[in-house]
Amino acid sequence: MKPASFNYHRPQTVEAAIGLLARYGASAKPIAGGQSLGPMLNMRLARPEHLVDLNDLVELDFLRASGEVLEIGAMTRHIRIATAPEVRRAHPLLAAAAATIGHYPIRQRGTIGGSLVHADPAAQIPLIATLCNAEIIVSGMAGTREVSASEFFQAVMTVDLRHGEMLTAVRFPVLAATTGWGFRLFSRRRGDFAIVAVATTLSLDGDGRFATVDIAVGGVDSVPLRIDLSGAAIKGEIPTESRVSDMAAFVADRINPDDGATIPAEYRRKLAAELARQALHEALERTRGVAS
Amino acid sequence: MSETGPFHYIGKPLGRKEDQRLVSGRGRYLDDIVVPGALHACFVRSPHAHARILGISVDTARAIPGVAGVFTGQDLEKWTNRLRLAPPIEGLHPTEIATLPTDKVRFHGDPVAVVVACDRYVAEDAAELVEIDYEPLQPIVSLDSALAPGAMLVDESLPTNLVSHQKFAAGNVDGRRRQAHAVVEASFSQHRQTHVPIETRGCAAVWDPGRAHLTFHAGNQVPHPLRSMLAMRLGIAETQVTVISPDVGGGFGQKIALYREELTVAALARHLRQPVRWREDRAENLMAASHARENLCRTRASVARDGRILGLELEIVEDFGAYCFYPANYMSRVVAMILTGPYRIEDYAFEMKVALTNKCGNGPMRAPMAITSWVMDGTLDAVARELDLDPLDVRRVNMLRASDFPYRMATGEVLEDITPAETLESAVKAVDYDAFRRRQRDLRGEGRYIGLGICTVVESTTYGSAFYKSAGIAGSGHEAAWVRVEPSGVVNASVGLGGTGQGYETALSQTVAEGLGVDPSQVSILTGNTDVAPYGMGSRGARGGTAGGGALYLCALKAREQVLQIAAHRLDLNSAQELRLLDGQVERQIDGRWRATGLSLGDIAKIAYLDPTRLPEGTSPGLDFSLTYDPPPMTYSNSTHACEVEVDVRTGKLSIIRYVVSEDCGTVINPIVVRGQQQGAIAMGLSGSLLEEVLYDENGQNLSATLADYLVATACELPNFEILHHHTPNRRTPAGIKGMAEGGVMGAIGAVTNAVNDALAPFGVVADRQPLSPQYLWSLLQNAPTASRQEGKERSERHE
Amino acid sequence: MISLTVNGQTRETVAEPRRLLCDVLREDFNLTGTHVGCEHGVCGACTVLIDDKPARACLTYAVQMEGHEITTIEAVGEAQLSPLQRALHEEHGLQCGFCTPGIVMTFEAFLRDVPDPTEEEVRDVLSGNLCRCTGYQNIVAAVLKAAATMREARL
Repeated sequence: MKPASFNYHRPQTVEAAIGLLARYGASAKPIAGGQSLGPMLNMRLARPEHLVDLNDLVELDFLRASGEVLEIGAMTRHIRIATAPEVRRAHPLLAAAAATIGHYPIRQRGTIGGSLVHADPAAQIPLIATLCNAEIIVSGMAGTREVSASEFFQAVMTVDLRHGEMLTAVRFPVLAATTGWGFRLFSRRRGDFAIVAVATTLSLDGDGRFATVDIAVGGVDSVPLRIDLSGAAIKGEIPTESRVSDMAAFVADRINPDDGATIPAEYRRKLAAELARQALHEALERTRGVAS
Repeated sequence: MSETGPFHYIGKPLGRKEDQRLVSGRGRYLDDIVVPGALHACFVRSPHAHARILGISVDTARAIPGVAGVFTGQDLEKWTNRLRLAPPIEGLHPTEIATLPTDKVRFHGDPVAVVVACDRYVAEDAAELVEIDYEPLQPIVSLDSALAPGAMLVDESLPTNLVSHQKFAAGNVDGRRRQAHAVVEASFSQHRQTHVPIETRGCAAVWDPGRAHLTFHAGNQVPHPLRSMLAMRLGIAETQVTVISPDVGGGFGQKIALYREELTVAALARHLRQPVRWREDRAENLMAASHARENLCRTRASVARDGRILGLELEIVEDFGAYCFYPANYMSRVVAMILTGPYRIEDYAFEMKVALTNKCGNGPMRAPMAITSWVMDGTLDAVARELDLDPLDVRRVNMLRASDFPYRMATGEVLEDITPAETLESAVKAVDYDAFRRRQRDLRGEGRYIGLGICTVVESTTYGSAFYKSAGIAGSGHEAAWVRVEPSGVVNASVGLGGTGQGYETALSQTVAEGLGVDPSQVSILTGNTDVAPYGMGSRGARGGTAGGGALYLCALKAREQVLQIAAHRLDLNSAQELRLLDGQVERQIDGRWRATGLSLGDIAKIAYLDPTRLPEGTSPGLDFSLTYDPPPMTYSNSTHACEVEVDVRTGKLSIIRYVVSEDCGTVINPIVVRGQQQGAIAMGLSGSLLEEVLYDENGQNLSATLADYLVATACELPNFEILHHHTPNRRTPAGIKGMAEGGVMGAIGAVTNAVNDALAPFGVVADRQPLSPQYLWSLLQNAPTASRQEGKERSERHE
Repeated sequence: MISLTVNGQTRETVAEPRRLLCDVLREDFNLTGTHVGCEHGVCGACTVLIDDKPARACLTYAVQMEGHEITTIEAVGEAQLSPLQRALHEEHGLQCGFCTPGIVMTFEAFLRDVPDPTEEEVRDVLSGNLCRCTGYQNIVAAVLKAAATMREARL
């Protein structure tokens, strides 16, 4: 299990990295933490001619929480996102989700940019980015553009990155202190990719009725799915147990998973409903915690 | 009896001697051995489950710089002999395996060619360029398709895929069925698994052309049998082969057979006159090393009104994979032989079928008979369900009691010195059975489903040569040892075992210390080198303690006898009767008290080696002893496992709440080591029952060739284990040692599955196959009968 | 030619870019305590420290490590066993020992970050290291014991 030969490049600036990616095109592959690409290289499932190592781009290892936006550099490691006080304050959901990625040593190396670009449909970071309408910052020879998460993820492990472009940062809207959030990940073992993962954010109005609710589901389609809840008529409803269960059922109706080698589609669907139910309750608990 | 009992050194919780090097990264595993000039092998493996080999083109691969050669089955045919297995066992077809296939491949991952290159990277580059022309054949990927009339043959030398078929009957099961109050049928399907030692297989072969001698480094459990097999397959004498097994990163049964890859590497080292080494990668290990366990058992129990079993019938069918590295009946036979275990069942019959399929060949994996106790106690649970009896009562009514032993099982095997009723009662007491039932009832009211599973195990541990004889298997169960007191009084000792983490250097030094009368720190155990160790049968089953420890203990006793005779002579005594050796000092009993004599083992050794004229007349110089020891036909340990689980009926998630095991494995050589073995065995059983599964698709493609797909339990999926100890010595073995380390697997499989079924009882569903994945448990509940029988029963109880 | 800092020493070797860090450590520098168990980042046997943080040596190419500090098992408890190594011995937290160096490296780092972990936290971190022999119970006990010992030593 040894990789095929590759040429190794170690650019010192984003500009230089982009130059290399533009020059080598499809024969180049950037490597960040290498926690997903490494196995693929070793198994020769990926065999780039050129490996462009982004690890010297310390300028991309940053957290900036300013008012409404939490901006995170592409080379920021999961462990920092999981533990940094500014993330816990500005986006506790993202911190909680990052804390469940892989295992402790994996989180030390894996990066938020790598996870977004790898785009495993069951992974945590793409799920939270999708839920929160994160903006993904992409740089190339032609300059920088912003892509919303819903457009960035195109298919299984396929994202909107064009020739010579690289992901440099991601912007999450800061979660308001009054926003409740819930995150549920179901996997066979600790640290495995989710069979299904559900994340939700919600807020209540002054009467304790639903004001906003967002839910996203990972592991049930080729990309994480943000569920369109407009048909569920939630706004203004009292968050009762049965209302929450109805919403969970609504979520399950909006997804259409495939049968996997070991996981039947119907199981994923029911699991999504149950995890949505739990995540909604978790989020409600949090709003109540804030209220009280 | 305390853990030390009548012994001085056996039973002491000594920390392991091997730890110092292992915790500091200074162990010496296969890949840590530097072999100057060694080439690296990489095997080209079949992408098909079943295909004819039409042609192999190696020219492109051979042209890569750094490649020393590319070889195929045709080459190996010239340099090696085939493996022919033809034990005289009725109903078992002889089989023959080429070193590398020449005509067709039989499973996804089957080795077809081998590249030898300067390093593994280049070898893998070249392996990709070996071009093989295949004609795909219909793959046989299930027992049903294997045994279907006119099925495509996996092994074309056999009349059908049914490679082994036996029947047995004792008593009159037909008559019992007619007399029975009820006939209860149950089925148990165990899935395919594999061993996953954290160190994969591998070897380094060094051929010395001058001496015409092969030194073969390989982590292996049975160095001497491996040497015999290597010599035979290479067509050389055993004197021309040395097997060296260094520190080994786990075996679990996967490192017993001489595999085709290892033989190929040895043959290439001889052919190329250059050392060759091979390290299996993890994908190869998961796909193509050895698999285990895929079998289906059906039982039919004829029972009395109180749940007493009058007659029992077993049908066992095993999916053996594509190749026979072991007699195909071997694993199933042990299941069938010991199935009735702790219960009194006089009328018993079984039918045993083993079929070949296009999967990796099966071999023994820690507890080859793993399914046994689940099948037996699961059958009792089925009886309890059918007759509305308490499952504990059904166990009690069938259980063998102390006064029943020695007990000859229906299969003729004799159980003695075991205590299943005692371990059952102590486990039941520890979990407070009645309190559990109350808690269970209360939680069901809240929509929570907990369950308690009980499984009593009678574990066959050590197989003596009489067992092999009666089973028709060529081989023996004896073990050999030598003990040498060196001139300074320190002790070297050796035995033919091959350790893979069992702490032999510590535990076995205690058996030598006990027999001889020295502190274990003065004893070094040398294993894993066939030029050093005596010819033994190695480590398999749970024979290390009984056969290996027993042989060393007896050999050390022999040494002590001579040491004390010399001491008596030095002390001018007529006999050694009043003398003993303790902590290396000769003591004499005077007026009932032991007193120092001033003579030490070192003093005696010095005389024996350097001043032999002072020895008693007729005593040979030196202190060098050896013997062989043949254990009883079979020894047994027993245990009862009690597992409490909760099933989340919304997700199918299974959580283990509590795990208690009460075990009697006789005299314990080192309680630390034994506890570690108990924990490890239970862990392997639970990991297999809950998570692990070798998966093939309908085309025979292996879908579980990474550790992200083949799920071994992590620290978050396993509970802590509470262990209760009993120590009933075996009266027929040295020091009363019984052996252990596989029963934990057996008990765990049964206890956890029985617990799940107990938890799900209100839904009227039964989990009868593993793994107990959340999707499986969830799917059971989707198909649950709408009216719950159990709830109905509870309602009727309340009315009474 | 690449130059790496391993256990405080500068080491040089000629290595193709594709060579795994674990292979270079083992084969070029003879630091064989770093074990290779899966080469795809799951088993954790090859865990080393990169700039004091645990990482898989099988998912790292040696060439990437120029300018970084690598610490391997050989640097732990060189003079005498570390409290963690001692606790693993005392609690029988190893059998075949193949996974042990990876576990030691993981927790030498973790216990610096979290000196007083709960059993749940220890199990969570340990989930990144597969052990096939022990069932983990004694490893968990050893880590908790080592943590206590190290806390006392700091007082």
